[in-house]
Amino acid sequence: MGMWIFLVTEILFFGGLFAAYIVYRAWYPDLYVQASTQLDTFWGAVNTAVLIGSSLTVAMAIRSAQLNQIKGLIINLYITIGLAFTFMVIKYFEYVHKFEKGIFPGQYYTYEGIAHEKANIFFSIYYMMTGLHGLHVIIGIGLMIWLLVKAKKGAFSAEYYTPVEITGLYWHLVDVIWIFLFPLLYLID
Amino acid sequence: MSGHHISSAKFLWGIGFALFVLTFITVAVTWMHIPGPWNVVVAIGLAAIKATIVAAFFMNLYWDSKYNLMLLVMSFVFFFLMIGITLLDTLFRNDPVPAF
Repeated sequence: MGMWIFLVTEILFFGGLFAAYIVYRAWYPDLYVQASTQLDTFWGAVNTAVLIGSSLTVAMAIRSAQLNQIKGLIINLYITIGLAFTFMVIKYFEYVHKFEKGIFPGQYYTYEGIAHEKANIFFSIYYMMTGLHGLHVIIGIGLMIWLLVKAKKGAFSAEYYTPVEITGLYWHLVDVIWIFLFPLLYLID
Repeated sequence: MSGHHISSAKFLWGIGFALFVLTFITVAVTWMHIPGPWNVVVAIGLAAIKATIVAAFFMNLYWDSKYNLMLLVMSFVFFFLMIGITLLDTLFRNDPVPAF
């Protein structure tokens, strides 16, 4: 229950950014359509699949712990960490690709390929939302590594697996936030 | 965490597969170029279906105590309240804030 209260604060934390997104989209609908063409739908879709896959392996990890299958727990944690890194690597290349074009947030924005004077605002929102989400993925990787170390020491069993369960809840929430970010940022046509 | 329901592996894979299919549909509907504002409605609707599936079956809310479900629902209620009150201001200004 305590974990759910934390997740509520997380939803409202991201909620502020979604509110900024909605306000600016209402003010500058054309900007969003134009700026979204700079985001690669293919890699956004791949990353969505990667995160859903990692949610599946986390759910499998919890199931393994519940059934006292510690080996299965460790394997599923490894796969989850691998998928989380995959997500971050793809995100890294997406960021670098934009930086090369001069698409930086706010006043550092220098790209001239979008004919809209407020183009920097879309990318400020984009970097804030995906950046904060990426930070959550990195924290998630840290938590998974911690779980992995504890699992290898034999700390978890069918009687005690609460850390696995609540880290799983956190990870699923990070997945859910991306499920909303993907269509809102990449799929505007 | 009072539920402690144990899902079968087959069931979890089924949920994962359903989410992959819905992700494909999310991308595929944009190829149809649905006229606005319906494209946004469809995109958010599909995302909401996926989020509900994750919350219900991966996060085990379906079997969990109803108190946790209430917490989640309330967070969305307050989120919509925040959006609603913000838009009541920003949608009805004569000019957006000049500097922004």
